[in-house]
Amino acid sequence: MSQAKTPGIFMDCLSHAGRLGLGVRPRGICRLPAWLGAGLLLAALSGCGEPAAPLAPPAQASALPGADVARGRQRIAEYGCASCHTIPGVRGPSARVGPPLRHLASRAYLAGVLANTPGNLVRWLRDPPAISPRTAMPNLGLSEADARDVAAYLLTLR
Amino acid sequence: MKPWMRTVGLTLACTAAAGGAGALALVYSGWYDSSATQPHTPPVNAVLEAALQRSITVRAADIAVPPLDDPQRAIDGFRLFRAHCVQCHGAPGVAPEPFARGLMPAPAALVDTARHWPPSEIYWVIRQGVKMTGMPAWQYRMSDAGMWDVVAFMKVLPGLSPAQYRDWESRYAGSGAPGPGPAVPAASRAAVPDATDLRLGDAETGRRVMQQYLCVTCHAIPGVVGANRHVGPPLGGIANQRYIAGILPNTPANLVRWLRDPSAIDPMSAMPDLDVSEQDARDMAAFLYTLDDAR
Repeated sequence: MSQAKTPGIFMDCLSHAGRLGLGVRPRGICRLPAWLGAGLLLAALSGCGEPAAPLAPPAQASALPGADVARGRQRIAEYGCASCHTIPGVRGPSARVGPPLRHLASRAYLAGVLANTPGNLVRWLRDPPAISPRTAMPNLGLSEADARDVAAYLLTLR
Repeated sequence: MKPWMRTVGLTLACTAAAGGAGALALVYSGWYDSSATQPHTPPVNAVLEAALQRSITVRAADIAVPPLDDPQRAIDGFRLFRAHCVQCHGAPGVAPEPFARGLMPAPAALVDTARHWPPSEIYWVIRQGVKMTGMPAWQYRMSDAGMWDVVAFMKVLPGLSPAQYRDWESRYAGSGAPGPGPAVPAASRAAVPDATDLRLGDAETGRRVMQQYLCVTCHAIPGVVGANRHVGPPLGGIANQRYIAGILPNTPANLVRWLRDPSAIDPMSAMPDLDVSEQDARDMAAFLYTLDDAR
């Protein structure tokens, strides 16, 4: 191979490959410069692992120890929540008196006034008018245990 | 060179040339609307969102996150937030300033950002800013510790009710930080007495207006590009909803009242007053009543 016949860029690549110890002998057309190839590879690899956890992750049902999702769903049926709310997984008339509860776990606020945390959801379920006096949602007299179970079910609705 | 290589090469070159000429014609004709009143088309919006997300994820991958749980750190961050962030991003029950409501893309509701973005990426965006949005690079205007303080406050932010946020205002705001006073809607159209020639609400106009009052940063709204957040309730099916905000019977007049002045109806609500004019509220209501359960 004579240097006089070789385009400059070819030699650049060759020297890059040589420096990296790749032992590659480019033929015909030049490969990508080594730094560009490595950069692309890095870009492709970085950020491919586990996505990092959010700064303030949305509420999880697991934050209510002892609460039972299946029992919660049963309580929702017993308390007649579905007569006002449309709730995925609970049979009812698709009522639109209260808001539909799909995506409840994704929502930032409860009733538009309270941060959606498991503790706040239990408080809200136990006595809504105590938190928002003008709300149309009545106090249904849920026990603490029932409210925790219901909250656990609602927090599965992402 | 073999003949088939020549054919392939020529075909590729012609296609590239035609594509380039087409792109040039598209740009030169002014076909793409650069106004802040016209949303991106859904495909363009999706590509831009994905590109932004990937750009940030890749670049923030190696950032080490310092401890953020020190309460003093959040308080310091709150003071910076109040001085530099709330004007465009708003806060629980606090609307962004009038100038920020016209930005495209709309400044994010940071409650939602904190719930979905990792701290390293939030820090990176504060530090570097975002091209072709209103987001500046704060690294030239804020210390590194200060930027992490803001992240520390954003960790607390989603847990604050509007009442609790007001409590932070009264407890921690008085540190000399030049925070905004109470919102003065002097420059807004709502302060101008309503014209007598109000027309009936127009749904299509209302759909466009949803962007201009930043509804899109908090609500999932069928038919509005980029409106997919869950800070406020999703608005699909609102036409069939019995109550507004759980308080007010859902009538057109009440919906207009609510849109114009939510704090008068529910002082505890996280929905801020956005200085909506009577006509714009009518148009938005007309649009919202097209969102029945079928959508």
